[in-house]
Amino acid sequence: MVRHTKTTRRRLAFTIVAVSIVMTLFVLRLVDIQVVRASALSAESLEKTETGDTILATRGNILASDGSVLAEAVMRYSMAASPKDAGPFERDVDGAEQTITLEQATNEIGAIIGKPGPEVLALITDALAADKDSLYALIAKKLTLDQLRALKALEIPWTTFKEEPYRVYPNGAVAGNIVGFVGEEGEAQAGVELMENSCLAGKDGRTTYEKGSGGLPLPGTTVTKPAKDGGDVVLTLDKDIQWFSQQSLAAQAEAVGASWGVVTVMEVKTGKLLAVAEYPAVDPGNVSATPSEDRGSRAFAAPFEPGSTYKSLTAAALIDQGVANPNSQVVAPFRYKPSNGADINDSEFHEDMNLTLAGVMVQSSNTGISQFGEKMSADTRYAYFQKFGQLQKTEVGFPSESGGLMADPADWDNQTDYATMFGQGFSTTAIQGASLYQTIANGGVRMPVQLVEGCRNADGTMTDVPDATGTQVVSADAAKQVSDMLEMVDQESWVAKNVDVPGYRVAMKTGTAQQPDGDGGYSSSYLVSMAGFAPAEAPQFVVSVNLADPVKMNSSAAVAPIFRDVTTQVLKSRGVQPSTEPAPNLPLRF
Amino acid sequence: MSGATAALDLAPERLGRARPQPTRTAPERQHIRAVTTGARSKLRPRPMYAVVVVGAVVAIVVGQLLLSVGLSQGAYQIQQLEGKQVELGRTSAALAEDLDRLASPQYLAVNAQALGMVGNSLPTYLRLSDGAVLGTPTPASASTSPIFNAALVPNAQAATLPLVGGQNAAAADGASSQEAVTPPVPLQDGLPSPTTR
Repeated sequence: MVRHTKTTRRRLAFTIVAVSIVMTLFVLRLVDIQVVRASALSAESLEKTETGDTILATRGNILASDGSVLAEAVMRYSMAASPKDAGPFERDVDGAEQTITLEQATNEIGAIIGKPGPEVLALITDALAADKDSLYALIAKKLTLDQLRALKALEIPWTTFKEEPYRVYPNGAVAGNIVGFVGEEGEAQAGVELMENSCLAGKDGRTTYEKGSGGLPLPGTTVTKPAKDGGDVVLTLDKDIQWFSQQSLAAQAEAVGASWGVVTVMEVKTGKLLAVAEYPAVDPGNVSATPSEDRGSRAFAAPFEPGSTYKSLTAAALIDQGVANPNSQVVAPFRYKPSNGADINDSEFHEDMNLTLAGVMVQSSNTGISQFGEKMSADTRYAYFQKFGQLQKTEVGFPSESGGLMADPADWDNQTDYATMFGQGFSTTAIQGASLYQTIANGGVRMPVQLVEGCRNADGTMTDVPDATGTQVVSADAAKQVSDMLEMVDQESWVAKNVDVPGYRVAMKTGTAQQPDGDGGYSSSYLVSMAGFAPAEAPQFVVSVNLADPVKMNSSAAVAPIFRDVTTQVLKSRGVQPSTEPAPNLPLRF
Repeated sequence: MSGATAALDLAPERLGRARPQPTRTAPERQHIRAVTTGARSKLRPRPMYAVVVVGAVVAIVVGQLLLSVGLSQGAYQIQQLEGKQVELGRTSAALAEDLDRLASPQYLAVNAQALGMVGNSLPTYLRLSDGAVLGTPTPASASTSPIFNAALVPNAQAATLPLVGGQNAAAADGASSQEAVTPPVPLQDGLPSPTTR
């Protein structure tokens, strides 16, 4: 039997009490940490250990109607060096160890990236001069895969590589002004890149994990939210017709010294734009080579006074209203002074001509169309401008698109009252002009102008497909009669030989418009146009050419070769059969 | 009467004790032992069991080692193949880019010119139903074909691609293609008519 003395028992009790007190303190602290402050402390710890990387979404491509790529998201690479560690290193050459000095290494790097070796060395030494413990100096950006592989093959231990998204435009300036371009950080700046950015951009994803020592992710803590890649935008543009139009336009524009020009090719039945050629054109892969005022799309954004090509609108309205037909007669003088005080004259002096409406169109007589136009009120004519879509922006919604400018009829002065009959006194864009001829060619039904087929998602479905409902603007009969008159223009006008497309019936109208000088009057610069459609018996394509300020040839002859070549090319590449019946023969004089 | 009480040997001073004390002899004490000779033989350790157990443990350890080596090998292989896949993917993307550039219309037109090809802007059609020729067949020549100047519709991506004749695409202006034009072959006996059944 153990005998406890009183002192031993006391010591034992004291120890037990002391231990229990310490235990209680520990338990309290434990409860405090694990239960009371648990959430706050875990959040704090998560903040310190959790880290994440953004998963970049791939930008969508921009495709032409045949699927060829106009703008593409690709990968490029960048190389960085660690200046603090930059120095000589050992390389295994044919089994033997060789020491490569810093100079040699930078020379090798320079040879691959296309810079002199000392320049590469300077990047490293400058970084060291700024901070002697510098661990990062960017050596080169936008490296291609071949360059990356060559640099990796050098096996320089103090270099690192990174992958970066990049945008390329494999077809260069073809549709360059329409496609637009992106900036240094890949942000959309112009054109379809900007217009369809919500389709192209996609959503970045994120991967988060908790890091342990050394930054390694702790297993089982990785949470990934995948990136949603951008969709592809499919345009209605035909790459080959677009290129041909640009080529043809640029060659002729330079020959006649024009300041800018536009060629528009549109499908008659659908209103889809097959080509919007601009001069000067911008290559989105080399934006800085083009002055900033030429980097947009003048077809959409630069309205101008269209001139005689809009006599077709007046003629269509006249016939639709029933106040005239192609055989209606008028005596057209050189100068016509109506009772309201306006003063209208034709482009060239001539004796009084006895013209039918068809003859007025062939001669492009301002005095003739003015006398016909008087039969309709200003409000009626304005209403036709509205229905033909000439008073508002088209359905495309291009960045900086203009709807042209036309004053309210109540504000028309005496001269403007007549000038609007022959395409002066208001302004419209080249696309609006093409849309006018699309309506006439399509039996009087105006189709919404369409540039984008839609946004194609990764699973192949198309979203954002524009509405394709047409509106009847003039009767089919009126449109047909205007088409017949335009065929007469194509055959009998003074430029007829320059626009001959053998084997096909083409309808066409010329236009030479004076441009305003900005002070309320007209300058001596002209904007020469030619608009039409083919084949006239069953129209399929509208071709519209506008050339501003062709100083070496200030008449429709300047645009004739472009119109002829583009029309021929479109008919040829789309396999349109030659016309089998002769064109109608309308009387031009009486 | 004295004989009956003698057998019990009950002394009055001895009646207090309940238990009769057994007579102990020295040899009987030796029988109380913890282990007997007979039982001992059943509990002798057998070397077989030890060998089997240790052998099993060793086998398990060795097996686990081999398995983990095999897994690691597989993991290395997977990593290598994944790396290869990434590299091949990159090569494929770079080649697709090259293809897009080579397919650009500027490059094709300039190359065609360098080969001496000319465009024909006067197409003629052959209607198969009755063999009718629509349009006037005219041989294409340099005069009917527009000369494509590569600088008019520039392509920064394709500028440095080599041309068929070894020239630089950016510098070509079509003038050099004039010498390469061969005279057109004349059609004899009209268009050959197909023999069909």
